[in-house]
Amino acid sequence: MEKSFWNIYKTFFKVGTLLLGGGYVILPLLQSELVDKKKWSNHDELCEYYALGQSLPGIIAANMSMFVGYKLTGQKGAFAAVTGIISPAFLSIILIAKILEELINLKFIQSIFWGVGIGVVILVLLAVKEMWNKSVIDKFSMAIFLAAFLLSCFKVSPVLVIISSAFAGILYYIIRENRKGCEE
Amino acid sequence: MIFFKLFWEFFHIGLFSFGGGYATLPFLYHIAEVQQWYTAKQLTDMVAVSSITPGPVGVNVATFAGFTTSGILGALVATTAVVLPSYVLVIIVSKLLEKFRENKYVQAAIYGLKPAGCGLLAAVAFRMFSESFSIFGTLIFLILLYISFKSKRDPLFYLGVSALTGLVAGFFHLT
Repeated sequence: MEKSFWNIYKTFFKVGTLLLGGGYVILPLLQSELVDKKKWSNHDELCEYYALGQSLPGIIAANMSMFVGYKLTGQKGAFAAVTGIISPAFLSIILIAKILEELINLKFIQSIFWGVGIGVVILVLLAVKEMWNKSVIDKFSMAIFLAAFLLSCFKVSPVLVIISSAFAGILYYIIRENRKGCEE
Repeated sequence: MIFFKLFWEFFHIGLFSFGGGYATLPFLYHIAEVQQWYTAKQLTDMVAVSSITPGPVGVNVATFAGFTTSGILGALVATTAVVLPSYVLVIIVSKLLEKFRENKYVQAAIYGLKPAGCGLLAAVAFRMFSESFSIFGTLIFLILLYISFKSKRDPLFYLGVSALTGLVAGFFHLT
């Protein structure tokens, strides 16, 4: 499929429509649309953009979409991606804003909400598996993974985790280079 | 004037809320206190509704606040304001990455931050799981997990099946 403005917008509009239960499912949805179906990207890239998206302020799903859009066709792509991902949210809220209170008290809406929660966890787990395959490749990355998991469980800010892990990566590289230098 | 205020408040959120999703909540509750755009109760409803309407919570609330105060135009202003700061930042970071991707230190940093991103997402899954599940929910979860190991399926499959399960479970009071 051609990477035109309209096609990028449509693709992200579709992902935006399925973006239920918070923005976290953005990664599995993009994996399915962009890697499996359209072959516009690969798991490695998405994994990187997901991490980068977390280190910037704002809405992660939007950040990640903009990174991917930019990668596809530059600024135009970023614009198409972000408007696409936001449009379904925008339209659906305008439709239901007036009846919000009535809606939230409907029993069957609460049941759907409960059910979707299960599907969302499955999708997030599948994304973790995919990311794991691409990023946890040796002892060092395993240690970073565990540290990030634990710190996040203790409510340390994700930005702090992402930024310190980037520094850890650089530090590890410098140490390794120095050791090589000594051996030679 | 209201448009300027809307823009200003939501631009703030876009610029200062780090960590995504629920990190925007403290800011949104603060707005409920200082402006009369929506009440704290409405915000809580909004967050619940967000999980069954498409899109990120932050965008949903921005649209909602803009719309209730000044209609479609207000909704557009607030929603644009909330993504504008990160739009600019993403473009800058993407340009830098293009230039320095081959740099050894940039590669080392990416090598470090990828497993961290994975760890953060694993923690999200863990939190979601431990917060909400009943016995029946866990059973459905395990069945879906089993299916996902057997074959690769579209995300829509999991969302659809789980929404249906929710409806059925609600009908028989199993939730």
